[in-house]
Amino acid sequence: MDVIEEQQWEPKILAFCCNWCAYSGADLAGLNRMKYPENIRILRVPCSARVNPQFILRAFQKGADGVLVAGCHPGDCHYATGNYYTRRRFQVMKRLLEYSGIDPRRFQAKWVSGAEADKFRATVTKLCEDVKAIGPSRKLGGSK
Amino acid sequence: MSDTTVKMRDIAKDLLDKGTVHYIIGWEKGRFSNQSPPAFITSAAHADRLIWDEYCLASTAKYLLDDKFPAGKIGIFARGCDARAINRLIQDGQINRENIYIVGICCSGMKDPATGNTADKCQHCTHPNPIVYDILIGDPVPETDKPERFKAIEELEKLSPDEKHAYWSKQFEKCIRCYACRNVCPACNCRECFVDQYRVGWQGKQNNLAENQLFGLTRAYHIADRCIECGECARACPMDLPLMELNRKLIKDINQLFGPYEASLDTETTPPLAKYHLKDLEEFM
Amino acid sequence: MKTIAKSRINEALAILAKESKLLVPMKVNGISKYAPWGSEGTIQFEEVNTLLPPKDTLFPHTEKMYSYKIANQEITELNIHDDSAPQILFGVRPCDMQSIKCMDDVFLTKSYVDDFYKNKREKLITICIGCTKTAPTCFCDSMGVDPSRHEAADVQMYDLGDSYGIEAQTEAGQTVVNKLQELMEDQAGDPTAVSCTLKVDASGIPAKLSTMFEHPIWKEISRKCIGCGTCTYLCPTCYCFDMETTNNGNEGYRFRCWDSCMFSEYSRMAGGHNPRPSKNERIRNRFLHKLEFFNERYGKNLCVGCGRCIAKCPVNVDITLFIDKLKEVAADEPV
Repeated sequence: MDVIEEQQWEPKILAFCCNWCAYSGADLAGLNRMKYPENIRILRVPCSARVNPQFILRAFQKGADGVLVAGCHPGDCHYATGNYYTRRRFQVMKRLLEYSGIDPRRFQAKWVSGAEADKFRATVTKLCEDVKAIGPSRKLGGSK
Repeated sequence: MSDTTVKMRDIAKDLLDKGTVHYIIGWEKGRFSNQSPPAFITSAAHADRLIWDEYCLASTAKYLLDDKFPAGKIGIFARGCDARAINRLIQDGQINRENIYIVGICCSGMKDPATGNTADKCQHCTHPNPIVYDILIGDPVPETDKPERFKAIEELEKLSPDEKHAYWSKQFEKCIRCYACRNVCPACNCRECFVDQYRVGWQGKQNNLAENQLFGLTRAYHIADRCIECGECARACPMDLPLMELNRKLIKDINQLFGPYEASLDTETTPPLAKYHLKDLEEFM
Repeated sequence: MKTIAKSRINEALAILAKESKLLVPMKVNGISKYAPWGSEGTIQFEEVNTLLPPKDTLFPHTEKMYSYKIANQEITELNIHDDSAPQILFGVRPCDMQSIKCMDDVFLTKSYVDDFYKNKREKLITICIGCTKTAPTCFCDSMGVDPSRHEAADVQMYDLGDSYGIEAQTEAGQTVVNKLQELMEDQAGDPTAVSCTLKVDASGIPAKLSTMFEHPIWKEISRKCIGCGTCTYLCPTCYCFDMETTNNGNEGYRFRCWDSCMFSEYSRMAGGHNPRPSKNERIRNRFLHKLEFFNERYGKNLCVGCGRCIAKCPVNVDITLFIDKLKEVAADEPV
């Protein structure tokens, strides 16, 4: 990659946010005019358990440099038990991603409640910084 | 071994003559001496085709899916791995226990047809004696601990991310997407597999590294907590992909995160990813 | 005849590789296949045959057909792909040479010419090496192939022990042989005749099969098939393909890729109807295609006796055992 391209590269981060907590948290961050990186593309899902681990693989394959899955805190899931499955699922998924050679800093799963605007801001900012430091994701390379 | 062959044939003749089973699935010789592929015996007259030797590698259990609503009972010869596979199919709601008659065989391990050494799939076998059966042939084989079970995975985990990526890329470049791994796997029993839904967008039909890796990693994840470690996938793969190194990695993690677990030892225990505990480990959330 | 010493074969390959992409049998990542000379892997001329057939030289596993870009509902770019380039296939065996002839029949004859195949085929030079030993699974000489040579190859080489005999058989072949003049010597030597240990009697099969469409033999042999694509993807003559498009917003491409008639959804139609709903019909289709339909349409067997399917089928489905059985059963009596 030449120097100019490198300077202009901005990471693309896909954030799966559950409608009831994480998305509201992001919304609150916006309402409070908190600044967080524009690299985040938010995909609203009804519950973090809706996120199929295949979405994560597909995201990396299609060009995402980082992926975040954000949901309600355990015990607070709008659908009572969804995020318990999320918790198990993504701990296993994260280790599988790491094992296949993807830098573990690229994939994050976090609990963000509707009132935790600042946690949302801090999470995405940190993720963006981490991914910027690592560079573009060339693994699970694009289907082009 | 030849003692077992005689018993197999006698039992098959008996079951078929009496009409206890409609047909029975076992093994017979192929053209070469190191081949003992699956056999379907439909009458007592053919029972002498059955054989038990060190090349009976193929699993018999998956064929039960071809006949989910049989006219009569299906007989099946099952070693330790086949019995767990049968449990897997029952637990996944794919077959009924009442429709099958299991003749268990205690198995001391099979040989690799190419080398004559112990087959890879048998190296870490922890359940050589079938855990479910209607009658049992053979003397029980002592169950030994297999401390090397996760050794290959631990070696791979030590590599750097780039080295790991290079390793898996080299492997998945070889994949020809024949789906032999999926077709032999008892845990892969969906009526419509995600790869067949290529209009939906999960998986493209192209053969390139990206799509091959997507297939491999997704299949591994789909069977993560249900894999019975029979090793059929790695045996069936014509390109010798080390698929068990992927499947065992997931099993190792699940054991570590959610407690010791082996799939399909019975049909009641819920697989770990289908349940939760309120106090589950939370590493990074 | 003219020969090249085996010790000088690398020099010959270096000369050939100068103007064309040179493909040689190699072991790459543990799998033997035809790969570009000089790429990572070990050259293997002494093995009987490669695991992966050379058909992907002319008919790649995945091939882009055209790509496009769209802006404001107008097509701004449309490229029809032509990835053809001069290629030399070195070390191809007579069975695989026969498979190239079969593919030529399919893609170049009978009123439709496949340009993607044609462009590559016109630029391909084939250098066949005759076999001096056979694998237990080889049965080419029962399927009408001579293991020692193939008359359709541009250049025919013979393994004479310390050297290779070399003969041009076409004009294109002569150009290649001319380039290697300085390495060639005159030597007396006859290649050792070899014949396969596995023999089948394939005579009269097409005629017999044409009466056996509803025969119970298909159910019997198809039961243990697991419906994967191993036989089809390793077969040098299988040529079925699927075409799909990939779209990424404003750009995309149409590609074709290998498909297998052993997959259950291969013949599934819109609406869900499937004229080959079970393994019964699919195995029947495969064997009839190889042994009857192709014979009726093109006058030759589609099975060349390479034995790869026999070696790698996870459950040992064996076309030779099938042919043996065919000889035993009566066409109109139950098995």
